[in-house]
Amino acid sequence: MPSEANRKQDKEIMAAQARQVIDVFHEISTLLNADLDRQTLSICISLIENGVNPEALASVIKELKKDAEETQKEILQSRGQR
Amino acid sequence: MSSQSQRVNKGISSLVRRLLVEIPDEDPSEAQERESNAIEFVKEVLESSRSPAVVADVNQASDLIKKRLLQTNPSPEKALRFTNLYTRLLSIPAINQKWAVLYFLYQLSDHQQKSTPVLTSPFKSPVKNRREGRKLDYGPPKSPDYGSRRDTQAFEEAFAPEGLMKLPTREGGQRDRKEEEQAFAKPPVVQRESVALKTALLADNYVEIDPPETALLRDLPFTLQGLSSTHLPFSSNSSLKLPPTLPVPIVSILHTLAEPSLLYRGLSSFVQSADGGLLGQSLRAAISGELRSYLGLVATLESQIRRTLVSLDEKEPRGGIGKAGVTLKRCVVWTREATMGLRLMSLISEESKSKRGGQLISLIHGFSSSHGDPMVGAFAERLLIHVTRPFYSMLRQWIYDGELSDPYHEFFVSERDPNAVTEAPDGRSRGGASSVWEDKYKLDEDMVPSIITQDFAQKVFLIGKSLNFIRYGCGDSQWVEDYSKAASKELRYGDTATLETWIDEAYKTTMARLIHLMAEKFHLFEHLKALKNYILLGQGDFIALLMESLASNLDRPAGAQYRHTLTAQLEHAIRGSNAQYDSPEVLRRLDARMLQLSHGDIGWDCFTLEYKIDAPVDVVVTEWGNRQYLKVFNFLWRIKRVEFALASTWRKCMTGARGVLQGEDANVAEAWKLTRGTLAEMIHFIGQLQYYILFEVIESSWDELQTAIHKEGCTLDDLIKAHTKYLNAITHKGLLGAKKKHNNEGPDENTFMVQLGEILRLMLSYRDAVDGLYSWSVSDFTRRQGAEVRTDSKGRREDEDGNLINTPATTRRGPHHLHDSTPALGADDSIADEFPVLRERLQALGAHFKTRVSLLLGDLAYQPDVDMRFLGVVMNFNDVYTPARKKSSRPAGREQGRSSAKG
Repeated sequence: MPSEANRKQDKEIMAAQARQVIDVFHEISTLLNADLDRQTLSICISLIENGVNPEALASVIKELKKDAEETQKEILQSRGQR
Repeated sequence: MSSQSQRVNKGISSLVRRLLVEIPDEDPSEAQERESNAIEFVKEVLESSRSPAVVADVNQASDLIKKRLLQTNPSPEKALRFTNLYTRLLSIPAINQKWAVLYFLYQLSDHQQKSTPVLTSPFKSPVKNRREGRKLDYGPPKSPDYGSRRDTQAFEEAFAPEGLMKLPTREGGQRDRKEEEQAFAKPPVVQRESVALKTALLADNYVEIDPPETALLRDLPFTLQGLSSTHLPFSSNSSLKLPPTLPVPIVSILHTLAEPSLLYRGLSSFVQSADGGLLGQSLRAAISGELRSYLGLVATLESQIRRTLVSLDEKEPRGGIGKAGVTLKRCVVWTREATMGLRLMSLISEESKSKRGGQLISLIHGFSSSHGDPMVGAFAERLLIHVTRPFYSMLRQWIYDGELSDPYHEFFVSERDPNAVTEAPDGRSRGGASSVWEDKYKLDEDMVPSIITQDFAQKVFLIGKSLNFIRYGCGDSQWVEDYSKAASKELRYGDTATLETWIDEAYKTTMARLIHLMAEKFHLFEHLKALKNYILLGQGDFIALLMESLASNLDRPAGAQYRHTLTAQLEHAIRGSNAQYDSPEVLRRLDARMLQLSHGDIGWDCFTLEYKIDAPVDVVVTEWGNRQYLKVFNFLWRIKRVEFALASTWRKCMTGARGVLQGEDANVAEAWKLTRGTLAEMIHFIGQLQYYILFEVIESSWDELQTAIHKEGCTLDDLIKAHTKYLNAITHKGLLGAKKKHNNEGPDENTFMVQLGEILRLMLSYRDAVDGLYSWSVSDFTRRQGAEVRTDSKGRREDEDGNLINTPATTRRGPHHLHDSTPALGADDSIADEFPVLRERLQALGAHFKTRVSLLLGDLAYQPDVDMRFLGVVMNFNDVYTPARKKSSRPAGREQGRSSAKG
């Protein structure tokens, strides 16, 4: 039983640490105007932890954001037309 | 692996889902397809580049972010906050790829800045604005193509202020790096916008030039290295040919850029030239070091230009050069500081042609210490460190080994040409072994560099000289070697205070050692004492004995003097006096010999005592000093001799007065009385003179010498000086000095030496006259006695004989018999006739002596020296003489002197 409790404790610690890390990174990202919310950031961090190229990931995100903006615009336009 | 890729896939899909925008009124299948397309695209991109393009380093990513933050906001607040966050992040062990996340964030953040140049568009002229409109959305290429992305990065770096910042910091330490960074860090940030604006405005008013600026830029690095290129060929060694088609502003810029190029050319040829001494070579080395850093700058510049030219966009105005960050004007700015350095170096190299050694150092030191521009000062200081290296190694050899290693005559101490030594500046040739000290080396005031003060140089000179002297003059090279091993230190430019203490230390050690050697090994002080005792007649018993035993010998002509008799008498005098207890080292050196004899001299004039001084000690007791000693000895010897003669005559008279000299004749008695008076006067004079010279002059000077040479920290130079002063005092106060008023009669006429010589001669001839009178009296006495014998032949002399048994042999008869000798006068006319002549002669000599003495006293009374005035007072304590001033009484005295000399 103690081992399980230990693991649980460990997990809790790990989770707390992860939260802390994400907090820090989030603050940095706001400093840098990176325009990422917490969840996206945590996804990105886990991706990078798993060996994804940060440069590539950054460009992908930029691309996706641009797409999103464009679709947003189109939607707005189509709404305006209507 | 699979779990990892699974996790990646999951992450990607959730990411896409978060970022995709919901399109209302879209059928789900379409949405599904859009989503899957996006996921596909993302996967493809991520697969295509697994490894990052930058080096994995947390610090680098954080540095990048910090820089970015500093650039985008003028206040450092955010950067500070980032630093805090960053340290916190480092303390959390949760994730491994911190740098990657940071880098990722960095990448995401920068997309906002690329559009900054676009901001300028509203200010542009409306005409151009339309054309520009199309180009405005040229910002960063946003395609996911990574190759081009990388290029953009390079472009970005060259354009961004940090790209510029790299240049000045790489200029080979021309300034402190941090200082530079601080100085440069902010202005670019603040001015960035305005620079962009200006660039844009300039680009609008741009005129096409031929050859284009890009071509000139491409050629520029070569020009800066002094190499000819297509557009900018060097027409000769000192001129650069500019293309004639250029507009004036560009030409002026190129003029500015041509300056470092030409300077570099000149300097590199200077560096390659080989003449000049060690310091010249070290100057060349230092300059070539500076040139290397200049070339480093050029290389950086070149790489910047290359990068810019590659990334240039041909469609931009001015070939896009305005935005590229490297223009001719920028090159001017970047090379400015280097140009200053080159200018200074070429100035130094020009001036160094006519200078060498210490002067060269003084020249550069002049720049570093008295030039108003701190940059020039710092530059010269840096040069100085390299240039002075051989100088300091020479200095070190000199003050620790006493060796001069100066193949090009650049040190401020130089070895004297042995052939040029003979004529010393003050006319007295010293010659001999003394040149080891005085003449072997000399201090060259012109060559003393200004980093060293004059008295400091004097000290250094003395140290080296002493070491050298210890080694070669005193044969103590063992000590010198030990010393140089123990004390040798690395000397270098910069820390003047420690250098000075070191040199002071070396100075003290060396001097102490030298004095120690002089005193202990070479018995310098004993020799000085012996000189005083024997040559200056300090040892009375010895001199008296010597004179007594030599007197009969020396009365004979000089030609009849033989060395062996002299030395035998000397030996006898030594044995018979306290001199026998002196050390054999001293007695060995004592020698009696005859001076160069001239015709008619008698032994007295030529005899001299000699004290032989050999190698190291003769530095103090020089050849000149020896001659001074001899001079004093001869003078004293003459006085002594006169005293001796007068004393023996006086003795004769005194004994005679009780016998033969008691005559009835009033005339004769009167003559004797006068003679005795004059004789007493002379003895008084001689006694006072001797007392004065021996006690007032020699002893007091000796005392001064003793205090001077036993002072703490006395150097050999001090010793020599003290000894010279001692001799000078003796010769001057001892009335031997040859400096008196020069009137038209000739320089020697008035000296005390001549006057005294005259007086002494007078005394001797007076003594002769007295002897003459004495023998006349004796013969007169015997004549009268003979007459008496003739008249009293009947007998009645036996009882008389018994009475007079104790009188000397010459006065066999009592003087009371003389009164009845009148009858014999007629028979001895010839003898009687001599008396008036003798009396006259004695009177003349006595009068002459008096005038002479009065003259001398007159001179003495007006001497600046207290002691000499004192001599005058002592001789004339009861105002017997009336001191005569030369102007009025001199001619008469001289007349008399001549007539008496003839008679």
